[in-house]
Amino acid sequence: MRELTPADASLLELVDRLLHKGVVLAGEATISVAGVDLIYLGLNVVLASVATMESSNQVRGAKAPRLS
Amino acid sequence: MTLIAHAIAPAPRASLNTEGLRGRPLTWSPAGGIGLWSTDWDPADKLGRGDALEHHRLVERICAAQPCLPVRFGTAFATDDAARASLEGRASALRAALDRVAGKSELAVTLLWNKNAGDSAPRPPDASAGPGRRFMEERRGRYAARDARRGRAVELVECLIAGLSVERALVWHDVCTSDGVAVSLAVLVPSERALERKTELEGLASGFDDVTGVVNGPWPPYSFARVDD
Repeated sequence: MRELTPADASLLELVDRLLHKGVVLAGEATISVAGVDLIYLGLNVVLASVATMESSNQVRGAKAPRLS
Repeated sequence: MTLIAHAIAPAPRASLNTEGLRGRPLTWSPAGGIGLWSTDWDPADKLGRGDALEHHRLVERICAAQPCLPVRFGTAFATDDAARASLEGRASALRAALDRVAGKSELAVTLLWNKNAGDSAPRPPDASAGPGRRFMEERRGRYAARDARRGRAVELVECLIAGLSVERALVWHDVCTSDGVAVSLAVLVPSERALERKTELEGLASGFDDVTGVVNGPWPPYSFARVDD
């Protein structure tokens, strides 16, 4: 894995917030998320966020977003 | 049509440009004295990284116009009625959360380990030890190094909090989230002082020898958009 640069860190911190933070509402629709785009950097922080998004939706009984 | 949620704000709605994700209509679903900003969306379309960043810009625009709670990206509702019902059930808690973040912004600090930070010279292997002993010694060394890094990361968090002189309730942090990251920290600051506080944070974050500091924001209060049900 390549070294994390400050520019990577800025993007990852933002993506982590978009996916991992914020109010969780029980959505009622299934939306496709282009998972490859979101996790292409392959870093733990982003992978963890996607996993959290999926598990959070499952816990709340909504359909999980489909990761392509 | 589906709704992709962006942010919750107090009613009445602010006067905003009505362009949402990919230029589609931005809509307002009011309920219980608050409302949800969202984009009309075709559920057949995939959300991608560009949409996530556009969602961020939309949330920034909403938060600049009125107090707002960012909604986790990817949240969708099948209908306007479903969105309203989701708000109505938690309106009181959501209003309280809005009050907590009103007039405040988030600053984000990431401390990245410098190359070789915290690494000590490995002990030479004991040539007389058997393979099992060497394996255990190596593993013990790895665990000790990991614990030392974690301990140092916690120290760094304490230095930042002390340097900022803020209440702990206004700080969120995590340590050692990946091999390269020592600390990820967010602090909630008054929006009108956000740039001044950012300069202070940059000074603090640049004062450590073993990490490189990266300060981002001000951002909408993502890390503090918690709802106590």
